[in-house]
Amino acid sequence: MNDVPTIDTGRLLLCPPQEAEHQPLAVFLGGERSEFIGGPESLWTAWRDCMANIGHWHLHGFGLWTIKLKSNQQAIGRTGILNPSMWREPELGWHLFDGHEGHGYAYEATLAARTHAYDQLKLAPLASYIESQNTRSIALAERLGAKFEADTTLMGQPVQLYRHPKPEGA
Amino acid sequence: MPLTNAPCLQSERLILRGPEARDMEPVIAFLQDETRASGFGHIPERGAAWRWFALNVGHWHIHGYGYFTIETKAGEIAGISGIWNPETWPEPEVGWVVFDGFEGRGIAYEAACRVRRWAYEERGFDTLTSNIVPGNDRSVTLAERMGAAYERSYHNTNMGENMLYRHPAPGAAS
Repeated sequence: MNDVPTIDTGRLLLCPPQEAEHQPLAVFLGGERSEFIGGPESLWTAWRDCMANIGHWHLHGFGLWTIKLKSNQQAIGRTGILNPSMWREPELGWHLFDGHEGHGYAYEATLAARTHAYDQLKLAPLASYIESQNTRSIALAERLGAKFEADTTLMGQPVQLYRHPKPEGA
Repeated sequence: MPLTNAPCLQSERLILRGPEARDMEPVIAFLQDETRASGFGHIPERGAAWRWFALNVGHWHIHGYGYFTIETKAGEIAGISGIWNPETWPEPEVGWVVFDGFEGRGIAYEAACRVRRWAYEERGFDTLTSNIVPGNDRSVTLAERMGAAYERSYHNTNMGENMLYRHPAPGAAS
């Protein structure tokens, strides 16, 4: 595959994932805020997750970007498209590391990731799987124009399936 | 289609090449097999086993090395062998696994020797280890056959108690 593209969203850069990013990722996965995406986890599992995401890019041609602040290159979270073997369809997913909420970064980054998925990858309207208590992610999905579609399960866990709007002009 | 820029290595009876999508099911089947994968890292859940497959692809891209797929010259997928350097490991190791039905033919020995030679000659390693879980007597026998010697035991975050074997230096290895 081609190299992972870098996307400039204005305040942020969506960057190719790097191995060293497992360290901020481990802090995040080890903390309380990861409870909705399978944490808490260890440094080992953060490393494994980080390297598997790099493999995911090469298996599918898409995956999670690392979100960096353009001003200082700090990694503040991840966003992108996931479709590991246990998923039923590609998912638009996002998370921010501690201390970076409340600035609209997840919205800005995820909107750019979705535009890339539609314009460059020609993917169908994307899913987002969200646990019902994860009110911040539900609010962001709705701000992105996604609508509740069904109650379902993902890897045995009950989740809500949100459906993103079609690409503009489709 | 190749997923990595891994080279294709040849030995007398084997081809060692980078992971490809068609290796996914044999690798997942091995990882989910509690008996066969106990010394390597048994992964019961399919999704997590898939993630291991993806992580090996990532490992190749980040480090320029990882696990090769071992193919016989008849094109059978017989196992994996490579150089591995995950977070929490003390240093890079040579690893090997043969899949169900391919034991007893010296495939792991031939593959691991070829991988070690590549690591020394093409990737500039000046030393290599192998991590072996106590009780994995077949791997101890193979490590010793390769000329490796027991150095110490340590606690591995992922695997628990692990014995570290040290391989002969470049020039002294077969």
